[in-house]
Amino acid sequence: MPSDARMQDSNPFVEIATHLFFEDLAGKVGVAGLNNYLVSLAKNLAAAMPREEYASWSEFVGAVRDSQSILSTFEEVRPVTERCMSTLRSPFERGWREYAKRVGSFAPVHREVAEYYNHKVQPTAVTSVHIVLHTFRQAAAARIRVGDDAVRYEPVAAAWVDGTVQLPEGPKLESLLKRAGITRTKLGMLLRNHSDVWLLEPV
Amino acid sequence: MIDVALASLIEDMIEKAGAEGVVEFWQRVGDNLAGRMGKEAYLGWTSFNVAVREARTAFSIEGEVTPLTDMAITDVDGDVVGYLYAMRQCCYIPTIFRTRFAVGRMSPADQAVTEEYNENVHNIAVCNFCVFHERFREEIAKNVTVAGNPLACFLLATRGWSGETKISSKNVVQVNINEDHVRALLRNYECVYALVLRGARLKEER
Repeated sequence: MPSDARMQDSNPFVEIATHLFFEDLAGKVGVAGLNNYLVSLAKNLAAAMPREEYASWSEFVGAVRDSQSILSTFEEVRPVTERCMSTLRSPFERGWREYAKRVGSFAPVHREVAEYYNHKVQPTAVTSVHIVLHTFRQAAAARIRVGDDAVRYEPVAAAWVDGTVQLPEGPKLESLLKRAGITRTKLGMLLRNHSDVWLLEPV
Repeated sequence: MIDVALASLIEDMIEKAGAEGVVEFWQRVGDNLAGRMGKEAYLGWTSFNVAVREARTAFSIEGEVTPLTDMAITDVDGDVVGYLYAMRQCCYIPTIFRTRFAVGRMSPADQAVTEEYNENVHNIAVCNFCVFHERFREEIAKNVTVAGNPLACFLLATRGWSGETKISSKNVVQVNINEDHVRALLRNYECVYALVLRGARLKEER
């Protein structure tokens, strides 16, 4: 969440309505159709936002940390290393809490579509909103240039509000940790207190 | 974030189903959400209004609602059969500002859905979200009883983020509230509605 006071929090009711919108959509187009919809939704959102350029990697990381970048428009990002980013809170946490409080337990389709995404795309989603989040960050990173380089986003792990953690296994995880410059233990520590851990690197 | 993305979702829906389709879609979502909120029962208006003030009712999901207990609605016998309720801030205003500072401007899809609704359903919407929550309130009102009677909801007035106002002549007449009183409320509130006992015989003149 940006420090700029003009960027106020959303009303969770709007998020609840959007979740219901997705549930209704899933009833019509199925889990695969919803997945495609969420992906295109996030790509459209990123495409609607202005491109960015930075002279150096440190300037870019500073902008992400200070909520001046497209990547930190909707969430507070804390760099752990030069390449490894962590998100303190999920931007969907308020909406989820309000949904649980006022409506009841989350409809199963939100987990089902995440499982579909984990199987078909990459194993880092716990619920439907992670599909939006990962795709948005990926598309947003592609709109940034640091010097002559493009920027690539890759998720390392996601922890949902209820504590459920989703992360790749085996060599894939080891490779991500090495590129991010953190250990498995450090990842565990981050997931205890943060919602997402991700990687940004120059291409 | 998902609220800001909603604008592009609606843009996409308009391409697929037209603004009319989005209106129907939003109304169905309003029905679905109301159906999942469950029933509520209150002994009388006092306990209901306290519950509204303490954000315990299904209506509170929209945000802070103020019961205007000085503006009672009476029936032909002079008995209180309802009250006006108001929200200082429209649920969608934060999203409009977030879109302004994240993307740059609101999608024209918002206006397209609003106009479709105003022309063909009820001339009261100031943003696309009005479509959803007018239906939502109407449906949850049926599930709330006060002294054993289910409620009916009438959306009376709205004020959009750029200052435009809408007053529902149809609903203002229905609940016998003077339009000037409602207009005055819009100085301080962005959404005003009435909750009355379903089937109450309202006064013809106030």
